[in-house]
Amino acid sequence: MLPVLLKRKASTFRNALLSMRGWKLIKNLIFAGVGLSMLALLYAGFWRLLNYLEGVELIGPMLSWKLTSMVLLMTFTMVIVSSIIISMTTLYYSFDLKFLFSCPLDLRSIFMDKALETVFYSSWTLLLAVLPYVVALGRVKGLGAGFYAVYLFLMAPFVLLAGAFGILFSMLVMYFFPSSRTRDITWLLGSLSVAFVYVVFRFSRPEKLLRPDSLQIVAQYIQYLQSPTAPYMPSWWVTKAMVAYSAGHWATFASASGVLFGAAAVLYFLIYGLSGRLYMRGFSGAQSSPRFRGSRRLLPEQRLALRFPALRRTLTLYWKDRLTLARDARYWSQVILIAALMAVYLFSIRQLPLDTPDLKSLISFLNVGVAGFVMAAIGLRFTFPAVSLEGKSYWLLRSAPLGTAAVMREKLYISLFPSVLIGVVLITVSNYLLGADLFVSLLSTFTIAVVAVGVTVMGIGFGAIFPDFNVENIHQLESSYGGFLYMACAMGYLSLLVATEAWPVQMHFAERLGRRDPWDARALFLCAATFAAVNAAAFYIPWKAGLRNLERQDI
Amino acid sequence: MIKINELTKTFGSVRAVDRLTLRVEPGEIFGFLGPNGAGKTTTVKILSGIMRPTSGGVSVAGLDVAAEPLAAKRAMAYIPDEPFVYPKLTGWEFLRFIGDIYSVPYAEQRKRIPELLEMFELTDFSGELLESYSHGMKQKLLIASVLLRRPRVVLFDEPTVGLDPKSIRRFKELLAGIAAGGTSVFMCTHILDMAEKLCHTVGIIYRGRLIARGTVAEVKRMASGAAGPRSLEDVFLELTSE
Repeated sequence: MLPVLLKRKASTFRNALLSMRGWKLIKNLIFAGVGLSMLALLYAGFWRLLNYLEGVELIGPMLSWKLTSMVLLMTFTMVIVSSIIISMTTLYYSFDLKFLFSCPLDLRSIFMDKALETVFYSSWTLLLAVLPYVVALGRVKGLGAGFYAVYLFLMAPFVLLAGAFGILFSMLVMYFFPSSRTRDITWLLGSLSVAFVYVVFRFSRPEKLLRPDSLQIVAQYIQYLQSPTAPYMPSWWVTKAMVAYSAGHWATFASASGVLFGAAAVLYFLIYGLSGRLYMRGFSGAQSSPRFRGSRRLLPEQRLALRFPALRRTLTLYWKDRLTLARDARYWSQVILIAALMAVYLFSIRQLPLDTPDLKSLISFLNVGVAGFVMAAIGLRFTFPAVSLEGKSYWLLRSAPLGTAAVMREKLYISLFPSVLIGVVLITVSNYLLGADLFVSLLSTFTIAVVAVGVTVMGIGFGAIFPDFNVENIHQLESSYGGFLYMACAMGYLSLLVATEAWPVQMHFAERLGRRDPWDARALFLCAATFAAVNAAAFYIPWKAGLRNLERQDI
Repeated sequence: MIKINELTKTFGSVRAVDRLTLRVEPGEIFGFLGPNGAGKTTTVKILSGIMRPTSGGVSVAGLDVAAEPLAAKRAMAYIPDEPFVYPKLTGWEFLRFIGDIYSVPYAEQRKRIPELLEMFELTDFSGELLESYSHGMKQKLLIASVLLRRPRVVLFDEPTVGLDPKSIRRFKELLAGIAAGGTSVFMCTHILDMAEKLCHTVGIIYRGRLIARGTVAEVKRMASGAAGPRSLEDVFLELTSE
């Protein structure tokens, strides 16, 4: 039965490709083109890095293999965590599961079909991101086409093994705690794990690898390079097989890849057997919701609306969104990841090796661009999806006596305060850590506050230009064409702002360095006017275009 | 009242509604019948203001839906065929939400919401999240939300799908009650028996065109089939056959 199920996936994929015509085809080609360019950029970066490492005397080849083992270990860990999060949805909440369960299909075939789906969704982006690294590695070491074939050959059991951990975890957890609450807890734990791995990895200062002097003695360093990275993990088996292939040690290659394939076969045999006994109970339990006891008391917004009746509709939409977000585990998963991103960001700022006060202040100014990027990334996860997350319930707002602008404004209000707060905290703490001077501190704080408002308005605007009310999760929106365009425009907006402010900052540094009459009033006016114009365009154009599109949207 | 004038809606090359013209008077229950894909849902979506017509116009309670959308929406209530509601709100919160959006005074909400929940046997579930409600429970909650706001025009798209027999009977009584109060009811349905017994007038739409309109008795006379007593179902099948 499994081949029949897999064939339907192939047909779906083929039909999706064949149905691409006109604008849809152009859009996807642009998207693919940009994706390939980014992979090419990654490749260029990795090639430089590996080329440098390979050139280090005596230990060069060891360094690059050590880095490879760390990259593979990281990939393996990330696939495991992704598969834990994704398997909960694919195995227990896919839209087609009820149909499949009603068909005369073997339970284990359904499970294996969904398990393979889990492996695919949890690994394809990571494999794509690692591909430029592997291509660069093969080229730097001069290993030829056979190396890439071997890599692909080894990746199959590698991702199957990583995915198997998530699949097994979800199956066991849902068997022992069969409830939709389990899914929410797993999502939260999954996000916590990703955040933890990310923070620990950064806090372990991997840049030490490039600085042998940070370890006490050379022998210790060489020992560290030669030792296996997590020897019992499949990531090490892959590294071992790759090293063996490149050195022509066929026996070691055969044994390492044999262990890899053997472990995958044993694990999936176990999963196949267990699914027949455990899957049904978990699936059945997943349909039940735990009891929830909501209060009947007036909410703070409703009390406020009693005092200010003119604000009643806005406050109503506000409390609706507030309760919805607070009760959604997916939202909290995102909050955890953002918190990790902020922690790593501030840690990286602290680690910057800056010596002079001038350099520190200059970096504080340029930091506006980086903090702005963080704001845009947060906007991509929270603000841009806000309109689409109304989902199929959007008909309620559309048929209600509410203007589309009022709905968009409320979405803006709910995102605005956290956005400005995060931006100001990031910049203030960064300025403190860097010891920026007063001028740069004030300018960067003012700019990030404006940027926070700007990227939030753009997020709502772009979200309304590209709404998708059928979407099931935020990740689909983030990786959509609209999400990409939002990020690209937000980056353009940030670059323009930083470029506009560079002139007054240059005058400020000229004054610091003792130059006479560094300030030019006309130049300052021109910069202020450009700053205002860039912001006016960023605030107005996406908002108006989004409003126009959403008003015309048929649902 | 509801007025539809030369309404046309096309999707690409497909003409879903084709120059539809009809009128529903205050206090009238109008049953809109037609096979799948005939254009019923498209019509009711345009009436509710969630879809724009390609040409022609619609008005409810004397308000042009395209020119005065907010005033028109304030005067009407719409329930779609699929009861999509906010899964993370409780039943109680949902009714408060609708009450607030439609400016129902708080004092009235406090009095009416418990009554409506009781009427639809939802009191025990009113504190639970809507994601745990069944299709029928969501449908009942939406009907309760319609009663909370006292509209002048009600648009229903397959309102009884998912309801249990007791709720269907209660729904019919409520419908008759709100129509008696002067509210116009526009109801798309496939349940011809219910349309025959409940609706004052019916219209049959087929491939976007209105092919029959009148009281049930009048529509029955339009069919050219065999003599003798015939049900609305017989007439419907005859009129919509190739």
